Amino acid sequence: MSPILQLRGLQRRVGSTEILRGIDLDVMPGEVIGVIGPSGSGKSSLLRCIAGLDEIAGGSVQVEGRATQPGDGAIGMVFQQFNLWPHLSARDNVSLALRLVRKMPAAAAAEKAEAALAQVGLGALAARKPAALSGGQQQRVAIARSLAMEPRVLLFDEPTAALDPELTTEVLDVIRNLAASGTTMLVVSHEMGFVAGLAHRVVFLDHGQVVQTGTPQAIFSEAAEPRIRSFLQTYLSRVAWAQG
Amino acid sequence: MMQALQDSLVATAQGLPVTLFIWTASVALGMAGGFVVGALRFFSPWPLALPLSMAVEAVRGTPFLVQCFLLYFGGPFIGIDLAPLTAGLLALSVYGAAYFSEVFRAGFMAVPPGQLEVARMLGLSRFQAVLRIMLPVMALGVLPSLANLCVILIKETAVLSIITVPELTFRVQGVGTATFAFAETMLVLALVYWALAELTAWGARAAERRIERALAA
Repeated sequence: MSPILQLRGLQRRVGSTEILRGIDLDVMPGEVIGVIGPSGSGKSSLLRCIAGLDEIAGGSVQVEGRATQPGDGAIGMVFQQFNLWPHLSARDNVSLALRLVRKMPAAAAAEKAEAALAQVGLGALAARKPAALSGGQQQRVAIARSLAMEPRVLLFDEPTAALDPELTTEVLDVIRNLAASGTTMLVVSHEMGFVAGLAHRVVFLDHGQVVQTGTPQAIFSEAAEPRIRSFLQTYLSRVAWAQG
Repeated sequence: MMQALQDSLVATAQGLPVTLFIWTASVALGMAGGFVVGALRFFSPWPLALPLSMAVEAVRGTPFLVQCFLLYFGGPFIGIDLAPLTAGLLALSVYGAAYFSEVFRAGFMAVPPGQLEVARMLGLSRFQAVLRIMLPVMALGVLPSLANLCVILIKETAVLSIITVPELTFRVQGVGTATFAFAETMLVLALVYWALAELTAWGARAAERRIERALAA
């Protein structure tokens, strides 16, 4: 089986600062990749470069053997800040690109949008504007908006980081369901337990480089690399503190 | 004094239509021109944006009174010989356009970039993203500032009295000069402008409420 997403020597530079220093990664169809690492390690940049939103200084990104660009439908992206369009209902947020880009008739686009919203558990709220939805519901609309375009690979950039803790579960559940149904995805998240339970493979980034790639077991339990140990330690101590 | 008040009311009735005409026309022209200038300054490369920004700075950096004088009394020296009403309308429209352009430019800048990145990821063209996302999102943000400018412009119409545009202030001032009842006539004038400003603000609030309701649905 050939990889659906292939990164080769991916580099990004801003001025003289090296953000990504040559990332290689093969992602198989249906695979779920968790991307973790300290703040500033280049996790978000990695996703943005894969999406084509940030220019790369070297290397290549290929989906099914072809270079991609934003808007060609190969890659979908869900952002930390939802980025819903405030003047449109949930249904219209999802259906706008179906109508304008896929040239679907309005009725068919609305039907497809409602199916996508139902998939994230929001079938009943299709007529609501973003302001009338909770943060978790807004992020689920954003996921439905990406899903409706049927991308080959779905990227999640800290999808729950802007949410109140009690609203993260509903979003994580949706992502879990997508993973279970065979969606190929890369997930950047600070929810370590979620990543450990979801990902087939975990990539640990630091200073724009892959420190280690492995199963969740290999990264979370067995990694000998000091940078990974100390990063996980901060998380563990935080959880321990919270649990008293 | 009763005579002065009565004359003031007659003068108001005569001047009000002119004031309303100049106001609505300059708001319409200023808003249209300001939108074009604001959009050009936001979207175009600096060789086009820079001269526009200098023009806006020139208008914003000089008193409206001086601009009126320059256009009406200075214009004929360079072949621009306009009737008072035309000169007044032109001056106020240009003045309004400068300020409106800043409001629209700020509105463009305030659209969250992420909302446009999503549009790009989903395959919308740049034109579609501007039309379907940027303009509606911007419109919501700029409404209060637009209303504020409309109120400012209604008051600036009074300045046109000095180039003999027969609007409210010109007419009512005439009564003051004829009857020496300056205080009374000016009081009438102030109340009329205030009423117009309140009316505008009230209309703007109604529009804002409507938009808020539409967004919260």
